[in-house]
Amino acid sequence: MNFLENFKMAVSSILSNKMRTFLTMLGIIIGISSVITIISLGNGGQNYITDEFAKMGANTVTLSVDPTKIEQSSDYFTLKDAKEIKSRVETVKYVSPTISKKGTARTDTKTKTANISGVNSDYALITNVEIVYGRFLNEREVEEGKAVVVIDQTSAKSLFGTDDAVGKSFKLGPVASSKSAIVVGVSKASSMFSGGGERGGPPDRDADNTPALLTIPITFLQTLYPSDSNISTLSVTSITQETAVQAGNEALNIVQGRHNNKTTDLYKASNSASMLETINTVLGTFTTFIGAVAAISLLVGGIGVMNIMLVSVTERTQEIGIRKAIGATTNAILVQFLTESVILSVLGGLIGMTLGILSAQIIGSFISITPSVSLAVVLETILFSSAVGIFFGIYPARKAARLNPIDALRYE
Amino acid sequence: MIEVKDVLRKYSTGDIDLIALNSVSLKIEKGEFIAIMGPSGSGKTTFMNLIGCLDRMDGGTYLLNGQDVSNLEDNQLAHIRNKEIGFVFQAFNLLPRISVLKNVELPMVYGGVPPKERRERALSALDKVGLSDRVNHRPNEISGGQKQRVAIARAIVNNPAVIMADEPTGNLDTKSSVDIMRIFQNLNNEGATVVMVTHEDNIAQSAKRVVKFLDGEIIDDHVVEGRKIF
Repeated sequence: MNFLENFKMAVSSILSNKMRTFLTMLGIIIGISSVITIISLGNGGQNYITDEFAKMGANTVTLSVDPTKIEQSSDYFTLKDAKEIKSRVETVKYVSPTISKKGTARTDTKTKTANISGVNSDYALITNVEIVYGRFLNEREVEEGKAVVVIDQTSAKSLFGTDDAVGKSFKLGPVASSKSAIVVGVSKASSMFSGGGERGGPPDRDADNTPALLTIPITFLQTLYPSDSNISTLSVTSITQETAVQAGNEALNIVQGRHNNKTTDLYKASNSASMLETINTVLGTFTTFIGAVAAISLLVGGIGVMNIMLVSVTERTQEIGIRKAIGATTNAILVQFLTESVILSVLGGLIGMTLGILSAQIIGSFISITPSVSLAVVLETILFSSAVGIFFGIYPARKAARLNPIDALRYE
Repeated sequence: MIEVKDVLRKYSTGDIDLIALNSVSLKIEKGEFIAIMGPSGSGKTTFMNLIGCLDRMDGGTYLLNGQDVSNLEDNQLAHIRNKEIGFVFQAFNLLPRISVLKNVELPMVYGGVPPKERRERALSALDKVGLSDRVNHRPNEISGGQKQRVAIARAIVNNPAVIMADEPTGNLDTKSSVDIMRIFQNLNNEGATVVMVTHEDNIAQSAKRVVKFLDGEIIDDHVVEGRKIF
């Protein structure tokens, strides 16, 4: 009894009850396809985030002050720190201090909440701000603390009714003491972190309820919030990705020296690459978790296969008796039924894989993630579904193989 | 060729041991045509299952072609059933989903005969029972008599030492029964050994020798005089 013989026999008995075969395979199909969908979308999402981070610049190091360890206001960074780092560290290309505040943006007719960032002119180069109209803040404006602002496209539209708001002015800052500023540039909403439209177009969200993203000279921000505008973050961009860590450490040395703080870990340097790693780990864990939940449906599918094989063994008791009477060994019967359950599972696995890849493509096109399907996933699917077939098929097959030929022949 | 001695077979049902065969001894020579008779529960089918290697005995010895098969493993018994014994059942017991030809090929599949030779031998066996024109039909597309002829073709295809037939005409009309008995007699004339269980007298009269069972023992063993030739 060779393999081909067995295979043909199994196929013919599977085909003899097509509806049942299909329903049995459905469990496996659903299990495998949901696992594949989730894993390939999860991997695609990781790739997407990695790309986004690369856009943001993996060569950026963020220096920050640990807020729990601050003893005096002179522990915070100063504008001078930023200049010193830029001039003294060779591998540093851009440095920008950043202060983020919540406030409002008001025209004569409209009011919006606003996230206000105080930065310097290097900031645009560090975070790849895309300017749609006008220009970014320049060095002189930062130097002189001019009342100018770069506004995001969506907010420009909702405040002024037009994307091109360059030259218009509105009041911004804390509610009680806002000051008027002139728009010098309109930026494209960044894709991931401001919830904008994924292809860079104007996001179709409820524009009135979303905070405006305003970027102003840090010196101007300090006049808006005079009592509470300490710099707790410095963004440092290195000339290459490889030198980022080194540049960050040198910058750290400089601020520690300037603030007489060599001992405690008041200041920290963190690289976006390490942040990316953290996010990927979290996302990976999440994908694995959801995948495991989906795998439970595969288990249920496997039980379905076992159930149908048990029914099949009972139904074909007489056939088993006949086969044994004319010389089938225990092994031959075992292999026959095992082959059937493996074919059921593997076929279900292959169909499930195809459906899973398809649905990942379809779902991915809606949420603009390109699903990533690797050869390893394909091979694992085939291996895993055969394993399901063997695992859930062995019990019914043994039951069939152990039947006593006389009892089996007599079974009606 | 078949030699059983003091064969014991009992079934345990709860506390009571039911003796199905009690110290049965019988010798069957090559080329014999034996009818085994007896009422229900007399042990004739149990006896046939034992000498057909479908069942195991609880005592005694069984020599088949000089080989002691009393204490063989399941797989060895399967091998002997495949090579040395051809079964014909009352209910035909063909596999319903495969063609007549495939049914006849099946014992050779388990015997490891290559496909080409399998087909040739199956066709010639079917020719012997007069069914060359029905090879591609399914069992449910042919009559009862034809089904039994397919079963006979399946039984003889591996050239077994003995053909075991359990009530082969039990489910058939008179005309088909005559056809089937004629085939058995022809096979016997060509040298095949036939052991047949039956409770019909006129069928038993076509055998060369009749062995009668009652309550698990042989009560009569005689040569048929004035044998009926179909």
